[in-house]
Amino acid sequence: MTAVSSIFEVQSASFEYEGIPALRGLSLTIDRGQSIALVGANGSGKSTLLRLLNALCFPSGGTVSFCGDPLTAEKFRTVSCEISFRRRVALVFQNPDVQLFNPTVFDEVAFGPLQMGWSTADVVTRVDETLQLMGITHLRDRAPYRLSGGEKKRVALASVIVLDPEVLLLDEPTSMLDPRSQSQLIDLIQQWKGSSKTVVTATHQLEIVEDIADRVFVLEQGSVAASGSAREILSDADLLLRANLVHAHRHTHGAMTHSHPHLHSHDEHKH
Amino acid sequence: MSSDRTIGATLVGLARALGHALVSEQVARQPGLLQAFDPRVRVAGLLGLVLAVTLSHRISVVLALLCAAVLIALLSKVSLMTLTTRVWLVVLLFTGVIALPALFLTPGDAIFTTADGGLRITAQGATTALLLIARVEAAVTLTTLLVLCTPWMHVLKALRAFRIPQEVVMMLAMTHRYIFLLAETASQMFESRRSRTVGVLTGPEQRRMTARTAGVLLSKSVELSNDVFLAMQSRGFRGDVKILSEFRMRVWDYVGLTAFLVIAILAVWMGR
Amino acid sequence: MHIPDGYLSPSTCAVLYVGAGLGWYGALRRIRRTLTTRMVPLISVFAAFSFVLMMFNLPLPGGTTGHALGVTIAVIVIGPAGSIMAISIAIAIQALFFGDGGITTLGANCVNMAIVGSLVAYVAYRMISSGAAITSRRRLIAAAAAGYLATNAAAFIAAVEFGIQPLLFRNAGGVPLYAPYSLGVAIPAMMIGHLAIAGVAEGAIATGLVAFLQGADPALLHSTSGLAPDSSAAYSSTSLRSLRKLWISVALLLLLTPLGVLTAGKAWGEWNASEYSAAAGRARIAASSQNQPAPSETPTGLQRLSSLWTAPIADYAPQIVKSPALGYLLSGMFGVGLVMSLCFAMQSLLLRRRGGPGQAA
Repeated sequence: MTAVSSIFEVQSASFEYEGIPALRGLSLTIDRGQSIALVGANGSGKSTLLRLLNALCFPSGGTVSFCGDPLTAEKFRTVSCEISFRRRVALVFQNPDVQLFNPTVFDEVAFGPLQMGWSTADVVTRVDETLQLMGITHLRDRAPYRLSGGEKKRVALASVIVLDPEVLLLDEPTSMLDPRSQSQLIDLIQQWKGSSKTVVTATHQLEIVEDIADRVFVLEQGSVAASGSAREILSDADLLLRANLVHAHRHTHGAMTHSHPHLHSHDEHKH
Repeated sequence: MSSDRTIGATLVGLARALGHALVSEQVARQPGLLQAFDPRVRVAGLLGLVLAVTLSHRISVVLALLCAAVLIALLSKVSLMTLTTRVWLVVLLFTGVIALPALFLTPGDAIFTTADGGLRITAQGATTALLLIARVEAAVTLTTLLVLCTPWMHVLKALRAFRIPQEVVMMLAMTHRYIFLLAETASQMFESRRSRTVGVLTGPEQRRMTARTAGVLLSKSVELSNDVFLAMQSRGFRGDVKILSEFRMRVWDYVGLTAFLVIAILAVWMGR
Repeated sequence: MHIPDGYLSPSTCAVLYVGAGLGWYGALRRIRRTLTTRMVPLISVFAAFSFVLMMFNLPLPGGTTGHALGVTIAVIVIGPAGSIMAISIAIAIQALFFGDGGITTLGANCVNMAIVGSLVAYVAYRMISSGAAITSRRRLIAAAAAGYLATNAAAFIAAVEFGIQPLLFRNAGGVPLYAPYSLGVAIPAMMIGHLAIAGVAEGAIATGLVAFLQGADPALLHSTSGLAPDSSAAYSSTSLRSLRKLWISVALLLLLTPLGVLTAGKAWGEWNASEYSAAAGRARIAASSQNQPAPSETPTGLQRLSSLWTAPIADYAPQIVKSPALGYLLSGMFGVGLVMSLCFAMQSLLLRRRGGPGQAA
């Protein structure tokens, strides 16, 4: 039962960057159609995990499996295997400048389909459709250095959803966005949540977690510290403090001074 | 503060690069003569004229080509003001200074001698100086026209028609795109350092600061290239880059191409 | 140092384009093999970095400011093949997009700055730093020297390209058609600025950047260090021996030297003593000197000196070779081969003296 519905299975994965461990024996399972949030402070291993899930690097220990098949370097030497995987699993990087390396928005969105070998006509049709979907048709011939932060993120998103992937991996999607763009993005993620897509969002912004995720994994120093529903995790103040996701500060109400972990959530906080 | 001037000059240079790009984008959108042709015709035609400029031995022909360039510019909605500030003044200053001594140094028949006989300006000297300046002005005008009237990506895709490998075209495109990012990063670093330094920096301190800024820029560049590589892989890139080319030649384009070639050949023949 | 259109004749430009093409071909083949898929983003970003670096105003000792080329640090971090491509791309964009440097002279500019610059910087850096630890001071000195030498080598070649224009390309009236200054003027004019300022700027920024990397990210210095391969090396190494392809390009360039024979008669000033005595010779001399009549007798100084040294390959034509073009070519090859052997001999001598762990080719 689990083998059929689980789309990602990570078992005791370890990974190092130049000798510094980024992931230590991390294990988790993601089911098809779920909307997941990976929360953790910077350096907890969120980005690394996303890259492993996108087969951009491979674990030094343990396994990462997609639909039951382990992702290995050898497997990705074959063109057909790589192309079919990359069509189904897409990653949106935290820094959009890294993802916008083509001269115009149109070329950027067309890059993926072109590399997959689609015909010119198909590429042009699909790209125009996608631009319309994301509301950026007016940016078609614009160069990336002329885009605002929000526009860049939308183009980055467009450049991956043009391939209609089954899985969307988002690395800090709301960072560097103004409030309006943020809420537009959250709307988009909620749309995907409703459809059959699997969405994995890495974020340290707790206030959006409830809106975008059914299930939350808390990462701490390269492994999973806790998992549960959004509500469960967000109400566990001690956990959040330990994982460096919230801060505690003192404030005064009239004559009273108290300190408590401070989380800007939808609920009122207790005094 | 001399440190201010140095950094200021660098910042101005970086800002100029961005300004350049913006003007190009505006002109490329105008409904002018050049803009009506297929980009490949523009590249072949204008560069063909540059070749003609270099092949002509007569100053009259070179000046005629310069006039032709100005005419094309006007028909393509490029203002003379733009050309003057962007091309003519710069070339005049640079090449003019270089050509000046040629007036005196070139052996030949004197046309002017100073009262004491110390300095002689020769006819050959005057001709060669003029020829040099005219050539450079004409060539740079033509090249600038190409870039002003054509979006950068079209220039690059047009190069594919001349057998330039896809990877090289991709590298030219990517470099161009990231020049702006790195220039902006460098500007920000310089500005933040400038705002944090008090008083005048000594020479060695300035050098250290510049080297450190360059060093940080280098690290960021390497990091950027690694991340871009991952982003490219993530979208299916495996080494052979594929570029979309949507150019179609129409009758009008063939007419234009022929016109350019005729002018170029005529100029070379008359200037031999 | 970016040469604009109009300074070099079309034939000079063509020859240099061929030379550049060979350099690019060799460099591309090499980086395709070592960097493979990583090549496109790495070279592009490095080209962008060099471009931006070229815009920095560098304060120099003495109160002047100069601009660096960025070729030395490119060679040190991504190797000579990568540097050739990255600098060429930066030059191409400067020429095409910013009007800095010509299109007909693109080949020449790339030969001067990207190809000659990279090769000289690489050889100098490797030779001076061979065997030294990544963080040693010797590498800083090597970087400074490499930058200085590379810039001046590039400037020298450019000066030669300028200087031969009036000799080879004049019209009937004696008007130089392209760059108007002979070697005697061009070389000092170019070299002074580069020996004093530009070379120092390049050396200074190369040293500054290597010092920075020694502290911040030494892995980037590994690939051209000549030390035993390290797992932490950022990019795979280039040994001197494996620069064979690039040397082959140089060799092919030599094949073009017979073009010199195509210019009618002798280069101005290169007459030997016997030509002065024959009437035909004198007429030729006069014709190429704006009809100033040649002296009726061989100048005595020339007479004396010409017997002093009989070149083993007189007139560039070894006895056994009949065709002048082939003779020219063989002599050219011999000449370059001689210089190359001297370089390699010097290098092995330096290595042997240092001993040390470095296993440079």
